[in-house]
Amino acid sequence: MSAVVSPTIARLGARSVFGRRRGVLLFILPLVLVGLAVLVRALVGEDLTATSDTLYGLGLAVIVPLVALLATTGVLAPEIDDGSISYLLAKPISRHTIVVSKLLVAGACVVLFAAVPMLVAGLVMMADEPDIGVAFALGSLAGGLAYCALFALLSVMTRHAVVVGLVYLLIWEGLLGGLLDGVRWLSVTRWAGAIADEVAGDLALVADLGATYAVVATVVVIVLGTWLTGRRLRGFNLTGDE
Amino acid sequence: MSTITLDHVSRWYRNVVAVNDVSMTIGPGVTGLLGPNGAGKSTLIALMSGFLAPSAGTVTLDGDPLWRNQAVYRTIGLVPEREALFDYLTGRQFVVANAELHGLPDPGAAAQASIALVEMSDAQDRVISTYSKGMRQRIKMASSLVHDPAVLLLDEPFNGMDPRQRMHLMDLLRRMGGEGRTVLFSSHILEEVEQVARQIEVVVAGRHAASGDFGAIRRLMTDRPNRFVLRTSDDRTMASVLLTDPSVRGARLRSEGGIELEASDFGRFSEVLPRLAREHGVRLLEVTPTDESLESVFAYLVSA
Amino acid sequence: MSSPSEQPRSAPASGVIHDIGYRPYSGPRLGEGAVAWAFFVTGLRNCFGLGRSGRSKILPMGLLAVMLLPALILVGVLVQAKDLLGLDEQIVPYSTYPITTQLLISVFVASQAPALISRDLRFRTITLYLARPGRRTTYVLVRVASLTAATFALIAAPLLLMYVGGLLADLPLGRETGRFAGALVGAALLAACLACTAALVAALTIRRGLAVTAVIVLLLVSYTVVATIQGIAFDSGNETVGEVAGVFSPYTLVNGVQVFLFDSPRATPTPPTGDAMGVFYLAAAALTVLAAIGAMLLRYRKVTG
Repeated sequence: MSAVVSPTIARLGARSVFGRRRGVLLFILPLVLVGLAVLVRALVGEDLTATSDTLYGLGLAVIVPLVALLATTGVLAPEIDDGSISYLLAKPISRHTIVVSKLLVAGACVVLFAAVPMLVAGLVMMADEPDIGVAFALGSLAGGLAYCALFALLSVMTRHAVVVGLVYLLIWEGLLGGLLDGVRWLSVTRWAGAIADEVAGDLALVADLGATYAVVATVVVIVLGTWLTGRRLRGFNLTGDE
Repeated sequence: MSTITLDHVSRWYRNVVAVNDVSMTIGPGVTGLLGPNGAGKSTLIALMSGFLAPSAGTVTLDGDPLWRNQAVYRTIGLVPEREALFDYLTGRQFVVANAELHGLPDPGAAAQASIALVEMSDAQDRVISTYSKGMRQRIKMASSLVHDPAVLLLDEPFNGMDPRQRMHLMDLLRRMGGEGRTVLFSSHILEEVEQVARQIEVVVAGRHAASGDFGAIRRLMTDRPNRFVLRTSDDRTMASVLLTDPSVRGARLRSEGGIELEASDFGRFSEVLPRLAREHGVRLLEVTPTDESLESVFAYLVSA
Repeated sequence: MSSPSEQPRSAPASGVIHDIGYRPYSGPRLGEGAVAWAFFVTGLRNCFGLGRSGRSKILPMGLLAVMLLPALILVGVLVQAKDLLGLDEQIVPYSTYPITTQLLISVFVASQAPALISRDLRFRTITLYLARPGRRTTYVLVRVASLTAATFALIAAPLLLMYVGGLLADLPLGRETGRFAGALVGAALLAACLACTAALVAALTIRRGLAVTAVIVLLLVSYTVVATIQGIAFDSGNETVGEVAGVFSPYTLVNGVQVFLFDSPRATPTPPTGDAMGVFYLAAAALTVLAAIGAMLLRYRKVTG
């Protein structure tokens, strides 16, 4: 088959993500974001600092990566874990098609549960300046897709993808990112922040990080991550005795 | 005709050698892959289905390597051992999804035919999580047959099947083999392999121990002694007399009575035994060969 | 080649079990209390990877080391440069240290709770436990106690290090001991809150990867949300809102309790002020622990042996 996307795999992936308890967490996260947005609006009215703190500190730094992690591992990790991915691999379909189809589902989740809620939260908190919401929505889309590609690669490389992904998020992006400035060149969250900066114009979320670099880096991560995942699936070890 | 060829294939992981210099050819018809648990059967099937790369040697299907080659799945149908399936789908949805992934022009019809072949038509609209073990095996078979593959690889297919299902599956496999397909299934249960497979490949501790029709294997092992149990009217005399004959390799008196005998030359022994018994006035009460089946071949190979 | 037997063999009419030396145990058996204690100790050891595979020791031991490292550095600075910098108390207060290192504590609890709780449920070994003397409630309580004790050890170890270092640096004994004792109480309360909620989540989502994620999500998101609200409340003068929000994350909750009970230095923008808020914090802490345990007991009631 020469199609890039397989509707069957996408359908199976969607059912896999929502058919389990993972789906519940995916709904809770954006609710928390929007709920907080409403609370902040009630507390301080339309305040740019509060808005950007919330949307960056909670939204881009926490909600977006977690949605990406849940969605991506939801379409890949359970099948690899129990071996049912062999039914997808034992078909004359390009491995890249499999990866792209699954990432399409993960990407849709990022749009639904991260980008759109970010837009809503931004509009709730700063109804006068809608481009704030749009900026953050775009930033979270970019960051979310990059995270999806990263976590997809993790999922096919290790069985403990979720734990490794969380440790990466907490230690690299969270702890070290807060302490060391140099991390920003290699941090997806900060790239997303730079993109939001560029679109909104007056946010100054991330210092000293050009939007061009951020966009290029994001695209590179997405393309490279997807391609490497496909390559890894081409030679995927799966024995019966695991 | 589809032939899988393994050429000096080894597979190791760190310092565990799962498959050790195995060369075999799997041709059309039903072949049984026999071996005790941990012998490397699943590893071999994974190698043959393109899910493992050999650490040394080559695995090819009609000359094409199986590793990193997704086009080969047009001709291979795989029934893995693991039970996990897409539990949230119904049987029909699962087989139809497999048909769609193969790019079949009419997935629905192909799925129906395949499901009917494994006699799952009644249960096809139930969700797979409600299936019994045997039903899961059958729906797995249906999914592997939906694209009419020339090669069928089954990893421990009779696991968890009741006698009726097992008979049905054996029929199905024989039929597939009769149609000229290359069918390989693995098992550690000798009766299953005996009843279905024309050709057996015996794998023990990662090594290819024997290959061929089991009777032929047996005949080839001329240096392997035949074993008998004799009950006579005078065990000790009989044993000592028999030991004087070169066709007898060993004799052991059992505590519960009787002689355990090892004979190296069956032909000569069968002629010598009654003669010696008569010459020394010993009455033969019972002569039982203790190794006439695959069991003994197997046990011998395992202990070797 | 078999000829019919001339002597009919007499088949034994009944079976017999040979005495090959197997003896059932008829000695004294320890009671339920001893069983529970042994189970508790095993759980506690398992949390740090002792008694499990080698690879499972890496994460908890690594987290413990990383928890101790900053404390070590702080103590070193205190001891060496006390006079130089004019320090007369701990650089980082005892009660603040856990909040600063909360990510490490959260990862610990998130990774060990599934190992203790989800595994038995997922692979159904819980049936083995329930078939032994010791009731269902004992199993649940002991498991939670093991996790609490392990988390407490993780939180308190650096505090102990800081206390000893403080004494070595000639800080006043009475004052330091008082503060340290208060911090230990806080550590115990924090461990209880974290362990109970993590255990509940682990009991509800039995797949390990998902349980780890869910606990992290819960702890991380709750803290970030509360911190954001408190920051905004403080800046905008609505401190009460921030104080109330503080009960929704274990870290801020316990810090608030310590501020109320022991007058510890605050680590949040809006700690509880006044007795009413303080009591509210205490009640919230107690409620968190008890409600989580209660929910767990309910959940385990549905598990069939």
